Amino acid sequence: MNDRIELPQGTLDLLILRTLALEPQHGWGISERVQQMSSDVLRIQQGSLYPALHRLERRGWIKAHWGTSDNNRRAKYYELSRSGRQQLATEKDSWQKLTAAVAQVLGPT
Amino acid sequence: MLDDLFFRLRCLFRRKAVESEMEDELRFHYEHQLEKYLQAGMSRNQALRQVRMGFGGIAQVKEDCRDARGVSVVETLAQDLRYAWRMLLKSPGFAAAALFTLALGIGANTAIFSVVYAILLEPLPFRDASHLAVLNETTPRVGNVSVSYPNFQDWRAQSRTFSEMAAVGSVQFNLAGISQPESIGGLAVSPNFLSMAGVRPAIGRGFTPGEEKAGAAPVLLLSYTLWQSHFGGDRGAIGQTIRLDSRTFTIVGVLPPDFRWVEKWDVMEPMGVWATNNSAAAERGSRGDLVVVGRLAANATIEQARKEMEAIAARLARAYPGANDQCGVNLQPLREVFSGDVRPAMLVLMGAAIFVLLVACANVANLFLMRGAVRAREMALRIAIGASRGRIVRQVLTESFLVALLGGLAGVGLAIALIPAIARLIPTDRLAGASVGMNGAVLLFSAVLVALSIFVFGLAPALNSISANVQSELKDGGKTIGGSGRNGWRGLLATSEVALALILLTGAGLMMKSLYRLLSVDSGFRAERVLKLEMSLRTAQYDKDVAVIGFCQQVLDRVRALPGVESAALGTDIPLTDSHSRTDITVEGMPLPKPGSYPHPDTHIVSPDYERTLGIRVLRGRAFTDADRENAPRVAMVNATVTQRLFPGTDPVGKRFTFGRLGGARTPKWVTIVGVVADTKMYGLANPTRLEVYVPFRQSTSNEMVLLVKLRTEPTALVSAIRGIVASIDKEQPIFGVATMQEVVNASVSTRRITLILLGLFSGLALALASIGIYGVLAYSVTQRAREIGIRMALGAQRGDVLRLVLAQGARISVAGIVIGSAASLGLTRLMAKLLYSVSAVDPATFAIVAFVLALIAMVASYIPARGTLRVDPLIALRHE
Repeated sequence: MNDRIELPQGTLDLLILRTLALEPQHGWGISERVQQMSSDVLRIQQGSLYPALHRLERRGWIKAHWGTSDNNRRAKYYELSRSGRQQLATEKDSWQKLTAAVAQVLGPT
Repeated sequence: MLDDLFFRLRCLFRRKAVESEMEDELRFHYEHQLEKYLQAGMSRNQALRQVRMGFGGIAQVKEDCRDARGVSVVETLAQDLRYAWRMLLKSPGFAAAALFTLALGIGANTAIFSVVYAILLEPLPFRDASHLAVLNETTPRVGNVSVSYPNFQDWRAQSRTFSEMAAVGSVQFNLAGISQPESIGGLAVSPNFLSMAGVRPAIGRGFTPGEEKAGAAPVLLLSYTLWQSHFGGDRGAIGQTIRLDSRTFTIVGVLPPDFRWVEKWDVMEPMGVWATNNSAAAERGSRGDLVVVGRLAANATIEQARKEMEAIAARLARAYPGANDQCGVNLQPLREVFSGDVRPAMLVLMGAAIFVLLVACANVANLFLMRGAVRAREMALRIAIGASRGRIVRQVLTESFLVALLGGLAGVGLAIALIPAIARLIPTDRLAGASVGMNGAVLLFSAVLVALSIFVFGLAPALNSISANVQSELKDGGKTIGGSGRNGWRGLLATSEVALALILLTGAGLMMKSLYRLLSVDSGFRAERVLKLEMSLRTAQYDKDVAVIGFCQQVLDRVRALPGVESAALGTDIPLTDSHSRTDITVEGMPLPKPGSYPHPDTHIVSPDYERTLGIRVLRGRAFTDADRENAPRVAMVNATVTQRLFPGTDPVGKRFTFGRLGGARTPKWVTIVGVVADTKMYGLANPTRLEVYVPFRQSTSNEMVLLVKLRTEPTALVSAIRGIVASIDKEQPIFGVATMQEVVNASVSTRRITLILLGLFSGLALALASIGIYGVLAYSVTQRAREIGIRMALGAQRGDVLRLVLAQGARISVAGIVIGSAASLGLTRLMAKLLYSVSAVDPATFAIVAFVLALIAMVASYIPARGTLRVDPLIALRHE
């Protein structure tokens, strides 16, 4: 539990876009998936997840539609739009540059 | 981009659907999470708690989502407005007080501004009117006088700073043969006047250059109003003839409806037609009723024009010393001439109205603060559960906005109702054809006022709403702490209300004293039960003096025979109207002065009984009798001022003078002074008396006479009988200007009277609002300090001590207000000095009385709430904790 770390500013959008690149997903699914994929290190607060989703939708990077969930319930699904895919590529690229640079500065330990 | 817009619009217009979708989405998450925890083996309670902690505040999440969607600005505005509306409905007393106060303030301003706009601001219906100026001649003794026609022609020929000049004369016509004979005003203009002013006739043609020369065929332009009323707006009127003064004129055009001139006018003739019938047109020394209008050349300023014209006038004075000695020239922008002398009064009233609005705003701000205090706990709670301070300020400002908007609407409604009443107060001749009413410019002004009032009364409550200490508000319910800041604001507002009310009251006080002094001036005549009717004998039959005398004598004889008539008389001029004809005189035996320095009295042609009818006292000698006839020795009466100036220390009765300047070969026609009458105020109560000479109507006739009738009963009853007498003597002779002399007196002080009425209303309003302000502050403070008062009384304070405590707070407010207000008044009342008469703008008595009255009213306003302390029961006040 204590291995969890706070998400740095701006990474939430990247994580959401990355998760949605796999398949359309609802909000709960996204948070589960991120937690899963990060081996429980990253956990998204609902308080920031939904505002982020609404913000991304407004920017047109993701699209929302109502569908049926695995246990047969109405859920709001988000999927990546064409511009969202481009955005993911750009953000991923700059993230990698950033982490590589930070790692280089920190040096081998 | 477009997507973004659609997204926002959907959120905006399908707000409910979007809200419920968000609700569903969050619930879905919530339930899934709960299920997950339960499956992981948590107890239901533990799982629920975990889920809730994960979410944080659900309301907060929703609000963040709304923010993220980015429609929140509009949405929260709508939300705030709805909320503000509900809050207003919930406190109808507060809403009514605030709206009523604002409506009064904005209504008063809008109404006054509609008058200010019509008189001072509305664009004149001329092309590039700011380059038009009006020129008059001046003499050192009289000031502005009319322009002699030959002088005008020289000005026009010599001036370079004016690209064009035109003479405009006012003329009078008798219009007969259509229905009842009537007297109409006309303008005689140089043919280039209309093109210079950029005015084109609505139908027909303007004047041609050839129509400037004497002998031009009589042609006429009609005003739109006359065309409508007498020709039913028929285009066939062009080419028709109309009879004025028994001369036939051909109508060549109609002027547009918006054309207006300083004087009331109905027909316009070219200068050539005027000159044909006017011997004065060729006399350089004759100054009748002409002014000159000039258009400044493109690169000339009015100052350059003034310099040049002064030089031209000086040259003309040297060239024609007889006619032009000491004559100068005066230039005024056309706008000023149209605004006339009401400008200072209008500006003072506008300022006063704005003060009223400021007082109203201060009062509304106080209401808001008081309510803010009641709602402080609500606000503190909102901040505690996460509302940002900015959001709270926005909410409070929205409430102010709603109140200002509704108050503004009510105010405009009030103004629409008030404007006709105010417009009726203004004599039509002061309006110069302008129409007072609601229009776009006035509405815009009201809108600006609404916006400004939000700033003025909304700021304090908004700042105050977030200054509250959340902790203490929530802990103590704001009973003990947090009050002081608000009380500070409120005290300040009440103080400024008192100061503003004092300024207005001082203005009204000075005005009242002026009017009182003015109306107590000895006018030299008695207006009671005197009726005046004007006649102008203009038809050709009256070219002979004997016909004029015959007409006058018949009218006098028959009017005097009417039952109820005490006396009747004719005279060319009546007091207070500033109508006059002046000539130089030479007193027998006096050393001959320079041409411009001869005694220059007004000459009034009067019938016997003139002085008796008007109640003018005969100081020496005798008044005219029927024996002062055509062939009898020529006689005159003079006023007391003539005695003092021309015959100091001697008795003028029996002395002789002659009209005109003595000289040349002709033997003077000496006139013997037979009587001296008291000075009368011929030019208005505020103006100094001039030299006046009266001559009998049989020895010096005039075609324009005022019939004065003194009655035993109420004056107006006999008007139709008198009309009947005149019609039976000459059925084409109109009678006009019918009024009682009391009405003449009132009209002569009308500007001051209107100013006093409105200023009095405004200051009364401000005083009432300020008293309510003081009352409100103290009443609130008494309830707030109930506990303190309770403690003091429990500790042995007497009721009198407590009463003094509250009264002292009231006294601090009113004394500070009175001191600040008096200081401000010292500076501000100077601005209305032009409106005052024989009262100094810093009249100590007025200042003292106003301060005293205000202090008294403030005391009463403080005493009522202070008495409330007497009802505080220390036990209850303390147990309340």
